[in-house]
Amino acid sequence: MITAQHISKTYGKGDTAFQALHDVSFSITSGQTASIIGKSGSGKSTLLHLLSGLDRPTSGTITIDGTNIFTMPAKDIDDFRARTMSFVFQSFFVEASQTCYQNVMLPLEIARAPLTQRKKLVREALSAVDLADKINEQAGNLSGGQKQRLAIARAIVNKPKILFADEPTGNLDSATGDLIIQLLFDMNRTMGSTVVLVTHDQELAGRCDVQITLKDGSIQTSNQVKHSKVKQ
Amino acid sequence: MRLFDILRRSLRNLRTAQMRTILTALAMSVGTFALTLTLAASNGARQYGNTIITNNFDPTALIVSKDKNFFKQNTANQPQEYNPSFGTVTSAIGGSRQIQMLDDNDLARLRDLPGVKSVRPAISLGLRYITRDGARKYVATAQAYNAYRTPDLLAGAIPASIPTHSIILPEAYVHALGFTSAGAAINQTVRLAVNKQASASALTQLLAKNGANGLSSPPANSVEERFKVIAVLKKPSSLLVASNGLTLYVSEPDIIALNDIATKGSSDYHTYLTAYVEVANGTNSANLTTVQNEIQKAGYGAESVLNAEQAITQVITVLQGIVSIFGAVAVIASLFGVINTMYISVLQRTREIGLMKALGMHKKDVARLFEIEAALIGFFGGIIGSILAFVAGTIANPFIAKALGIGNTKLLQFNAAQILGLIIALIILAILAGFLPARKAAKLDPIVALRTE
Repeated sequence: MITAQHISKTYGKGDTAFQALHDVSFSITSGQTASIIGKSGSGKSTLLHLLSGLDRPTSGTITIDGTNIFTMPAKDIDDFRARTMSFVFQSFFVEASQTCYQNVMLPLEIARAPLTQRKKLVREALSAVDLADKINEQAGNLSGGQKQRLAIARAIVNKPKILFADEPTGNLDSATGDLIIQLLFDMNRTMGSTVVLVTHDQELAGRCDVQITLKDGSIQTSNQVKHSKVKQ
Repeated sequence: MRLFDILRRSLRNLRTAQMRTILTALAMSVGTFALTLTLAASNGARQYGNTIITNNFDPTALIVSKDKNFFKQNTANQPQEYNPSFGTVTSAIGGSRQIQMLDDNDLARLRDLPGVKSVRPAISLGLRYITRDGARKYVATAQAYNAYRTPDLLAGAIPASIPTHSIILPEAYVHALGFTSAGAAINQTVRLAVNKQASASALTQLLAKNGANGLSSPPANSVEERFKVIAVLKKPSSLLVASNGLTLYVSEPDIIALNDIATKGSSDYHTYLTAYVEVANGTNSANLTTVQNEIQKAGYGAESVLNAEQAITQVITVLQGIVSIFGAVAVIASLFGVINTMYISVLQRTREIGLMKALGMHKKDVARLFEIEAALIGFFGGIIGSILAFVAGTIANPFIAKALGIGNTKLLQFNAAQILGLIIALIILAILAGFLPARKAAKLDPIVALRTE
């Protein structure tokens, strides 16, 4: 369960102060898919950064599974992030000079996963995105869609509770993009991960259980889709 | 992140930027090369100095003089009053000074001091000549044989106590005296001639006959003594031995007897510039120092091999320090290269750092990733520099030895512990150089870093 209560974020001070978010509240139940929709500058990215603990709100609280993440020291937020969440970015951020195996290994190393399980977890993750045969391929040699699949493998290798995807199809053609979205929904279904999707694609947003529409830093609409499946 | 994982990632990063890594490490290796050679050269110089000392001086003996200031630099700027009972020493560069001589009473006093095993006057006697039947006459110097080290022999043997009228012949005299080989000389008889002081009456006669000019060529007034050859010394293989390989060795009583013949009737009779004091259990430097203090307290000058060693070591250490500065400057210059390389590395990997931090990597681990990278550059620089220095030194050693005429001595002596210490020091310096770039990486805001396209 992710709960945001009255969060505001202001950048700068005095005359130059800019309020990126204003009194935003919502909640996402574990295992749901959620979309954050809005035009550029609406505060989507800021909200994502706050939800993942990369940034701190000026006021308000964010609770993840009963834990207020901003009461923790920085080191514990890091550990919390390493254990419970993961990211997929618009520009992939895979290391071109490293192999697929090395790319996917990174979160396991950061989370200090047991050495004996690492290889198995990496293989599973690469199989899940259909890249098992590219395990020793340099990431730089992959196509855009393959790179994003690799990024998803890296995001799911740790079996995170929450998966944040920041415009994951923004750099892909629509056919490849659809595949990636399908993959994300599959991960939500098979692993039970909560997926939080930042997008400006209304059609895509409509497929999510929860829709949070931002405009100028405030929530315009927040829909709990009634027909959402009961998940744990 | 586990340290092992960090190390592996650092190594991988260095491999990705291979050329940059190699060049930065090479810059560090220049200073290492210089420092390794400097250390090797001073090791060699120290060892060479010590070898010279131990080859030429009995390490368990003290050299004692009557004059307390004998071993000190001549600092007397004031005129010294003449004393007829003192000998006069003229130095090669012109100045002369009077030095009190040791006499038999002094030797007896030294013998009575606690911890003293034996006392023998230091005599190096210039002979008139050495010869044998049917051979030419050759100039020679004789000394008492002292068995503090085992000399290399070509023939014969040296007993623990040398019988009187026995002689140990250096190799150079074997052929000069007409022996076919070193072995052929053993048990043969040679004759040593010693100048006698002209008696006062003989000088008066000479003066009356030839005038003042007659004194410049005093009568051939010498005594010949017969000696049996018991051993032949091998020519010293290098300059490690100060002697030119032309000194004859006889027993202690013989050298005193010969010296007595040579000095009888002169003011030098039974007086000696210096004496060797053998210290009981003198290999223990504490005993040596105790007796040295004892002798100095009794009013004599005393010097040990330790003092000479210390003096040489001190000079070498100072020289080593001066030369090391050049190497150290090169290392410091290369550290700026490390800082630069690390900054570039951080800039190039801004996105990767952002990702790692977003995925929950601790600040400390991010910093460590770059510090280890810097440490590895230092390590490679150290390894490359010291290996190059070792190879260059090993190749150069024979040429240096030849140029300096020091025989088989290796002037460049490499010490594994020193090289290891040097490499560790470089690693530490490289980590310090990587500190600022690593801190920059650790402080990077993941949000900003991930915005970088």
